[in-house]
Order: sequence, then structure tokens, then C-alpha cells
Amino acid sequence: MEKPKQFLYPGAIFVSPEPSIITTILGSCVAVCLFDPILQIGGMNHYLLPLWNGQGLASPRYGNIAIEKLISNLEALGSHKANMKAKVFGGAEIIATNINQFMIGERNIHLAKDTLIEIGIPVVSSSTGGKLGRKIIFNTETGEVRQKYVGGKK
Amino acid sequence: MSNIKITDELLIEELKLRFEEKKNSLKKLEKLTTELKDVNTKLAESEALKSHFISNITNEIVNPFTSIVILSKNILSVKEGDWNRVMKMADLIHTEAFNLDFQLKNIFAAAEIEAGELFLEVSNVTVDTLIEAVMASFINEADKKKLSFDFRKVGAEKDELFFKTDSEKLRLILSNLVENAIKFSKNNKIVISREVKDGVLSITVKDFGIGISENNQKIIFDRFKRLDTGINSINRGHGLGLSINKALLDFLNGEIDIDSKKDVGTTFIITIPELTPDAESFSADGSDYIFDSDDEIF
Repeated sequence: MEKPKQFLYPGAIFVSPEPSIITTILGSCVAVCLFDPILQIGGMNHYLLPLWNGQGLASPRYGNIAIEKLISNLEALGSHKANMKAKVFGGAEIIATNINQFMIGERNIHLAKDTLIEIGIPVVSSSTGGKLGRKIIFNTETGEVRQKYVGGKK
Repeated sequence: MSNIKITDELLIEELKLRFEEKKNSLKKLEKLTTELKDVNTKLAESEALKSHFISNITNEIVNPFTSIVILSKNILSVKEGDWNRVMKMADLIHTEAFNLDFQLKNIFAAAEIEAGELFLEVSNVTVDTLIEAVMASFINEADKKKLSFDFRKVGAEKDELFFKTDSEKLRLILSNLVENAIKFSKNNKIVISREVKDGVLSITVKDFGIGISENNQKIIFDRFKRLDTGINSINRGHGLGLSINKALLDFLNGEIDIDSKKDVGTTFIITIPELTPDAESFSADGSDYIFDSDDEIF
């Protein structure tokens, strides 16, 4: 049977109890693909900035909120943190700059890896950094992620 | 002897360098500390506002409901033929229900944004019809404050203007701007204009009301922020509208600008780029998912 397909927009989260195919396109944004190999379910987020600074709505455009929400959404489907595995993608530096404040890609990557380690969810594989955007396709049933580089998008 | 002298100089040079480095890292640390303090204050404020928010919401949902229940009960007991009283009460019920409906839409929109459950539904929107529909829905509110709408269509396309975007999101954004303009002005008009230039739609909503000071312009997009927070404030609402607008426009890759002078009036300008057919095809068709042999697998 065809799996339902979902395109994930920046700032959104998708988690489903059904096996799904989730696609997204990343530049300096980072996406965490989270899955539970025992229940064979998973989900993905797509955040633009590492930390919510208290301005505007506390949406998953910010990494600290996006990762927390993704985990709790998966927990709501009966998954346990101890079984979850993560894969991290994105965080390219598309606009070259040496100023630390602006290295959004790298700060996004650090936030994902640090937060996941702190929570105790292993990052089993990742493809981060560099100068090219990425398109990723995530199969939540198997946890497989296919990646293609795309020319400097977003 | 001379060797030692050189070493001394080098040593001093090195010490200077180290001191410089230390100074720099101290500066960085100071900067980070200030940032951290700022965030801390904001979080504390946010907590305080949250509890304020709950009491606000209680006021704004429970009170209108109570009035609706009482008013409709009164209508049932009106003597036959007394249409005037019925009309008056029906009008009040409509006002309360309209406000309630609008507030709830905003609350749900905020909940969706914060849950990350945002999806694009792109369609070919007839912009003028949408703007006119929003104006029509607020006509009663505007009448009460003796405000009239002035809709100006700028540009060559005088009649039918189609624009690819998410119509429901645009409708809520516009409703929030119009509601805001009505709330903060009276006995005048509200000018709404629209223009499409180089694939970018811009809509301005201009009022001649109390205006917003420059300092306050910075914080109006924060959630739950109202400039006038007193319990007896004549202005209702809980400051969600503009923060929702900001978030929705971020999602549509658009922007919101404000131009305001105290006691002169406020103009909100929103700009939205037309969504390309490319962006549409992401969401819908499956041809996008063809696996190539050069895909990397993780």
C-alpha cells in the first residue's frame, strides 16, 4: 500500500501513527528525524533558529521548542524515549560569513545534537553543515532517510 | 645579555597579546550575560502574562456567553409584536457572538502555530473579494464607532485581481488588522488599499486613531502584549492578533511593517510574495518523490 506523503514546511512538525513518507528542504534550517524502531513510527520537525528569545509566539520555528514538541508528540503515540533514535540533517552555511552571531546553521546543528544527547536519545546518523542545501525524504516505518543536495536553496 | 633582553621584549609582547585576548573574551562574556539577562526578564514577563492571559480569557469568553444566554432568554419572554426590543437584543447577541467567534479563531490559530501544525493551502485568491468580505464582516463594529471604510485599488488591474496564496491565512491577517484599526479609532475612516507589483501583494490598513509610540512599536508583536493592560481598559482583546499576524506572515514569507505617530494614526503594511507553482507542487503531487540512484541513504 502507498504510504501517505507529507511535505513539511519550516516551523511545522509532523508525527503520525501511520507509516509515512515525510519530505522537506533544508538550508540553514535543521530537521530532526525521530523514530521508534520497535513501534515503527516516527516524525520530523524543521526549525529555523536555535532558541526562542521570548518574542512572538513560542512556535516550533525555534529548535528548543521544536525538539521538545517532536519528542512529546511521539510519546503521545506510546513511544518511550529509551527506544527513540534520531537523525539530524541540515544546518548549511549558505550565506558565507565568519561572524559567529550569524552562523545560524552551525548553531542550529549544535542545538540539535546537544539537546538530544542531554535527553539521552542517540543520534544514529547525520548529514550537517557544508554550503549546500538538502532535500530529505524520511520513511517513518524503517527510519531510512534519503538525501540529495540541492543548489543553495533557503 | 642581549638574548635575555629580546626574550623580555617577546615576553612582554606575548603578555600584551594574552591580556588583549582576555579582555576580548571578557567582553564577549559580558555581551552573552546581558543577552541572557534579557531572555530571563522576558521569560519572567511571559509567565506573568500567561496568568494574566488566563484571567483575560475567562473575562472574554465567559462574560459574552453569559450575556448571550441572558439576552436570548429575554427574547423568548418578549410580548408578541414588540419587534423593536427583539431587534435591539438580537443586535447585542450578534455583537457578542461575533467578537467571541473572532477571538476563538485567533486562539485556535495561535494554538496551531505553537503546535507546529501549519499547512499551506494555496489557491488562486481574488484579493478584492477577500478584502471586501473582511470589510463586510466588520461593518457593524465600524458603524458603532462611526467609522467608514475607504477601499482603494491601486495599479493597473482595476477589476479582477488574482493572487496565489493561502486565502484563510490572509483573511485572518486582514481581519486582525481591521479589528485593530476599528479598536483604536473613531468618528473617522479606515483606508484600505491593495497593490500588486512584481509578484508581491501589498495591503495597507490605515487608521486615524490614537497611534502607537515608537517604543511601543517594538513590542506589539509579542504575544499577550497589550499596551493598555488595565482591567478597566475599554479595549478588549488579549494582544494575540498581531503576534499571530507576524507568525502567519513569516509562514507565507511575507512581512509586516508599521508606520505610526501618536495621536495621528497608524498604518500597517503587509507584503506577501506570490507563491510559485513550484511551492504548490511540493505539497501535493507525488512526482516529487522519485528516488534517484545518486540519493545518499542514512
